[in-house]
Formats: sequence, C-alpha cells, structure tokens
Amino acid sequence: MAEPPKAVFKIVINGTMEAVFRELTKTDSPQGAVFNSMLTLDEPGLIPGRKMQMRTVSGRHAVVIGEVMEVEAPRRFAHTHRFTQFTDPSCKVVYDLKQVPGGVEVTLTVENMPAGTKTEVEMNKGGMFILNNLKAIVETGKPSFGCRLMYVMFHWLEFVLPASTKSENWPIGGKK
Amino acid sequence: MNPDEMDAVFAALASEPRRRILDVLKKEPGCNVNRVTEFFEDIGRVAVMKHIDVLEGANLVISEKVGRERLLWFNPVPVHMIYDRWTTEFSAYWAGKLARMKYRLENAPVPIDKKKRGGSRG
Repeated sequence: MAEPPKAVFKIVINGTMEAVFRELTKTDSPQGAVFNSMLTLDEPGLIPGRKMQMRTVSGRHAVVIGEVMEVEAPRRFAHTHRFTQFTDPSCKVVYDLKQVPGGVEVTLTVENMPAGTKTEVEMNKGGMFILNNLKAIVETGKPSFGCRLMYVMFHWLEFVLPASTKSENWPIGGKK
Repeated sequence: MNPDEMDAVFAALASEPRRRILDVLKKEPGCNVNRVTEFFEDIGRVAVMKHIDVLEGANLVISEKVGRERLLWFNPVPVHMIYDRWTTEFSAYWAGKLARMKYRLENAPVPIDKKKRGGSRG
C-alpha cells in the first residue's frame, strides 16, 4: 500500500533559533507566519498532549484543531492538524530548526496528508506561505505588505467563514 | 535570499533536465532516484543524480535517506521568494489573471472561422 502523501518545505532564516521558535509557538499574540492565527491551548503551556486550536484574532472561529505532539525548544515542534471546515482526517505538522551557516534552517514537514483531499491541497499551499512569512517576520520584524493586506481582508471577511468553524462548535479539549 | 543563494537557484533552473526533474517531483512527491530516472530516456542514473545534487544545493530539492533509498521532494519556497521579489500585490493579481487566461485559451478548442467556411460554399 502506498504511503500517505508527505510534503516538505525548507528555508534558511537569518535570525536566532529562539526567535524562529517563538514565532511558531507563541500564544500571546497572533502568529503572523501562520495565517495570523491565535494559537490557543486548553491549558497554559506548550506541552505534548495539550489540545490546541488555531483561532481567528477575534476568537470567534477555530480554523484548525489539533494536539501538541512534540516540543523540544528551540529545535522541534510538532502537532496534529485538522481543518474544521473539512471532514478530512488529521495530518501531522512538524517544524525542525537547525543552526546552519547564515542562520537557521527551518524544515516544515507535513506527514500523513489524506490523499486527494482539500486538506492535501491546502497544506501544500500553506507550507510555502508559512516559511516565507516566517522569514520576513524574523528578518524584518513584520510580514510582507501583501501579506499584511491579506490579513486585514481576513479580518474584514471573517463573517464569510462557514458556521461550522465557529469556536462554540469546537470546545477546546472537547470531543467533537 | 542572499545573492549567492539566488544565483544557485537560477543556475539550477537554467537546465531543461533539472526543470523536468522538478516536474517529476511535483507530480510524484517522495519518489526515489530510480523512479526519477525512469522519466529520462536520454540520460542515465548517474547524470540524474548529479542534476539532483545541483537542485539540492539550490534548496529546490529536499532529500531524505530512508533505509537504502533516497526519497526526494520539490521545495517550492525559493521559487516563491523569487516571485515575491519581482511582483507587487497588485501586479501579482493581474499577472495571475493573465496567466489563467493564457492557460484557458491555450487549452480551448480552436475556433472555427464561420465566415470563411460559409464563403467557400457560396
């Protein structure tokens, strides 16, 4: 039987491992690199086993749900990932950071992508977007102008998100 | 992306076999070197491996050793960074529209010139 599809993306960022790791794991402000989502945990502290969600800045919608799988600061962060608007099964997202000449090499791996699904399409597009923005944020302090513009549009158009993604439908730590 | 990295990307892309290798990896992510070689009748495995090394050096290919196999993935990030550098948000929008129109027109059936056909009958 064929292995489930896997996607790998890699970039070198001129910054510190701590700065890159913080951008990927912070819970106190929107993650500019990850679609401006608010990383929300069921309890404070990024610890394996904790339920996590990626919510909109307003907190009204939970776009992604998952569970923290591995945290080895500042080298590795892994979590399960499922879009609430699709019925596809979860996949696994892994960030690996490595010090290399010229900065930090960040490898984003998406494992167990459900083949032929919308999740597969979105994850293939998203990986590139995340790493490019991560680089811009760590190196310049902010995402590109186009990306910031897009985030403003996200905020204005939040009402078009499907009702199924409303946070009230996804109690964090809940069974749904 | 620093100038050396960008040079490496352009040098890697300035080769038809290497561009074809990226096409193969885009179509079959995670395939091994043997599988990539199957797509090339004109060059052998060693040459394909050399091309893959160049692509890997430019960060366009990511490889992973699994047992005795070397699995390969296309990394689109450097290409996207080049795209970002020379496109503004607005030109990207219109460039995207034009590109889509080009693909639509190129794939569309060739229109029949009705006037000409009618004229030949009359």
